[in-house]
Amino acid sequence: MYPQLADFPIEGRSAGRTGPARDSSLIPPCQMACPLRQDIREYADLIAQGKTMQALQVIRNGNPFPSICAYVCNHPCEDACRRSQVDKPIAVRALKRFAVELGGDIMIRTGAETRYTEKVAVIGSGPAGLSCAYYVRSLGYPATVFEAHSELGGMLRLGIPEYRFPHSIVDTEVERLVQMGVEIRTDTRLVTLDHVFQMGYEAVFVAIGSHGSRKLGIEGEDAPGVEDAVPFLRAVNLGLRPTVGDTVIVIGGGNVAIDAARTARRLGAGQVDLVCLEARDEMPASIAEIEEAVEEGVTLNCSWGPETMTADEGTIGVELKRCASVFDEAGRFNPSFDETVVTRLTADTVIVAIGQMPQVPEGFRLPVGRGSTIRVDPATLTTSHEGVFAGGDAATGVGTVAQALAAGRLAAFRIDDYLRRRYPLPSDGARQNLEGDLQPKTLEAIEKRVRQEPPVVSPEQRVRNFVPTELRFEWPTAIAEARRCLRCGMGAEILFQDQCAACLTCVHACPYHVPHPDPIGTIQLPADQCQACGICVAECPAQAIVLRRQADHRHIAEVLDQGPPNGSGPRQSRPLIVGFCCQYGLYGTGTLAGLWRRSEAGIWIVPVLCVGKVEANHIMRAFETGAEAVFIAGCGEQCARENTAFWALQRTERVKTILTQMGLEPERVRSINLSEQSEDPARELDEFIDAVGALYLASAVEKEVSG
Amino acid sequence: MIFAQPKPVDEILRTIASYDRVLIAGCGTCVTVCGAGGEREVALLHTALRTAVTRSGDKNHTFQERTVRRQCDSEFLEALDDRVEEVDAVLALGCGVGVQTMSDRYSDVAILPGVNTSFMGAPTEWGVWDERCSGCGDCRLAETAGICPISRCTKGILNGPCGGTEDGKCEANTEMDCAWIRIYERLDASGRLENMRRYYPARNFRTIPRPKRVVTRAGTAVESADG
Repeated sequence: MYPQLADFPIEGRSAGRTGPARDSSLIPPCQMACPLRQDIREYADLIAQGKTMQALQVIRNGNPFPSICAYVCNHPCEDACRRSQVDKPIAVRALKRFAVELGGDIMIRTGAETRYTEKVAVIGSGPAGLSCAYYVRSLGYPATVFEAHSELGGMLRLGIPEYRFPHSIVDTEVERLVQMGVEIRTDTRLVTLDHVFQMGYEAVFVAIGSHGSRKLGIEGEDAPGVEDAVPFLRAVNLGLRPTVGDTVIVIGGGNVAIDAARTARRLGAGQVDLVCLEARDEMPASIAEIEEAVEEGVTLNCSWGPETMTADEGTIGVELKRCASVFDEAGRFNPSFDETVVTRLTADTVIVAIGQMPQVPEGFRLPVGRGSTIRVDPATLTTSHEGVFAGGDAATGVGTVAQALAAGRLAAFRIDDYLRRRYPLPSDGARQNLEGDLQPKTLEAIEKRVRQEPPVVSPEQRVRNFVPTELRFEWPTAIAEARRCLRCGMGAEILFQDQCAACLTCVHACPYHVPHPDPIGTIQLPADQCQACGICVAECPAQAIVLRRQADHRHIAEVLDQGPPNGSGPRQSRPLIVGFCCQYGLYGTGTLAGLWRRSEAGIWIVPVLCVGKVEANHIMRAFETGAEAVFIAGCGEQCARENTAFWALQRTERVKTILTQMGLEPERVRSINLSEQSEDPARELDEFIDAVGALYLASAVEKEVSG
Repeated sequence: MIFAQPKPVDEILRTIASYDRVLIAGCGTCVTVCGAGGEREVALLHTALRTAVTRSGDKNHTFQERTVRRQCDSEFLEALDDRVEEVDAVLALGCGVGVQTMSDRYSDVAILPGVNTSFMGAPTEWGVWDERCSGCGDCRLAETAGICPISRCTKGILNGPCGGTEDGKCEANTEMDCAWIRIYERLDASGRLENMRRYYPARNFRTIPRPKRVVTRAGTAVESADG
């Protein structure tokens, strides 16, 4: 919607773990689909490693209010997810909530320094307005948010029911804005913008949302007992508990209609009929919302359009005619009806939810376009008035929360450009986008894994109140879900083509059939297919292949360079043992934590992101740093790759051969699988430690004797 | 391509024992392909040698590593000149040809072989290497259905199979196919069995003397024997 949004220089952007190392990874489709360009692949990977705090850091980098997105994002990333070609997309939003809540988002304190004197006014405290205020303030401007209602949050609070989004989150976020120094003025309905400039503000962001209800334009629409959804939801969200009859008809097929229907159920309506023009698979509401509404007893009446309404002794009758098609051949909204097929529904209350439009005050004197939206330049969000910017639903019509947050962010950067009198900064554009589908033979080789869904409250429970229906992931399910990420676009590349001997090792080693020689004999390693397992990187005899993100590749070598941490170094009495342990799987089983504790016993754990990346030379280097023995611990059955154990074996065998030639026992190297399934995952390790202890003692004695 | 295998580390340790400063030189061509002497093996051997000398308490040895595109061409060795000056010995992980090219260029430094050059061959499946050519200089593959009896028959006979063949395998190694049975089968399948019904006289190896030299320079292309 806002094409210029990508890749703004955001403060603290380089605070991620990538550091200054080379990064030629491609931007994955999920990130491209996100209005906020969230680095989903990165935080999913961190969650898979159990690093929720770092994951949260990545999320907060470019998202002002992750706690909000954690509940209400409509996750376009999931629609773009390439995993859906294999089985189902990653549950991104639920993972985000997991990271936000367990990463300690609520504990994060914010602050901002005032660097400039120009004051910025934000009109409207919805997601667009709050996001703009956050960034404008972060950039160093004094900012004020004007809100017409007594409650802050706009549609977040007044539109979205509590069972989908706990409104206390808005309070927390607003509190943080106040901490940053943002001034908040509620119950302040502005009627003219001139007044704002007179108050000394030099730039205004109009984010008044889309609060006006569309009308059906049919007979009987104004009868008592017929309500608009927006005021209805607003009343509920303000705690007024409006009465609804025992039977309710909701007209509309979007998310607001679903919200109204589910809210009516919670207010005690026994029978809720939802009527919409669209067929079920055309309904604009999100699929999960529709399913949950049905579970809660909402009856769907799809492909019907209301003809007239008649009120009769407190009961409203709605005449319906069959909707033959909603869209015309050009794909425009242009419903056609079959007048011969009619039916009639009656109810005590009718709620109309067929769309909203902005209500721009006359006094703003802003030109409006289609659907009463404020006309803006989509790249800069400028209006026809100097210093006045507009965005969010007010400029685009009803959109999503993420789009509104993105619009607020964009507005903040453009206001900064405007106040500093400079041209908008170009996006860095250094990284390419990943496009295209997975080829069939690669798809086939990717293991299918069931998508983990967060637990939900049972439908019987949830219709009784407004408590949030979805619960947070548990640790094991979150990790399992995060590990499903295919990590698109961060795979391997042949960095030094002139060093490549075209030996075809990568072609044979790749479990996904990705590398191949092209017609002139150059080995190609298509970035859009690579699954980033790293096996070819470790196997390449010419060391010509690297992972696109160098940090991922260098990691093991760097840890080995640093040497054993204090406390686990070699001592007279005990041998140093180095363990290359899978950071993904072993975290989930708790085994890694157990191993860490053993570091006291002279074990140095080098966490690796898949044992497939451990090279023979890494094992050898462990011996060089003084290890008496080395083990590799993979995550066993949990591993997303089928043959990592084979590659671990290939490399341990090579090292065993060398050790034997050096006069050391091959038993000093072992590849073990510490899996969840085994009763005591660490028993095999204990045996290994005992065996090594014996070898160490024997060699020490031998030294004494021969010395 | 030329297939080689890494020399055992203990043997290497013995050969370098009297040289303190050692350059481990890899080759980026054949021995990279067969995994015996490319960048990866050079790095692994480097670590192994450092580990071995450290564990034995030997503080005199120092190692460097460098891999060139192809050791058997002196031009590619130029990249090593500076380094070779700083060392007492070069552990060359190229094939025997590469080791000799290096010895010719650096005649005053000890050039030590780091791999055992084994044969000219090919991977018949991933990780399995088979000898395919003896470089005899008198190729007979046209008559033998593309299967070389010189390199693939234990006896290297030109008129086979011999009496030692059994169930298509060789008496010298019952795992190994008898090359002549394979030749027979392939000729039979392609209707060229008349090739088998001829006698190939023994070759006169005096006309294929060693070492061989071929001059391919334009205008002077002649084959001649050296020594």
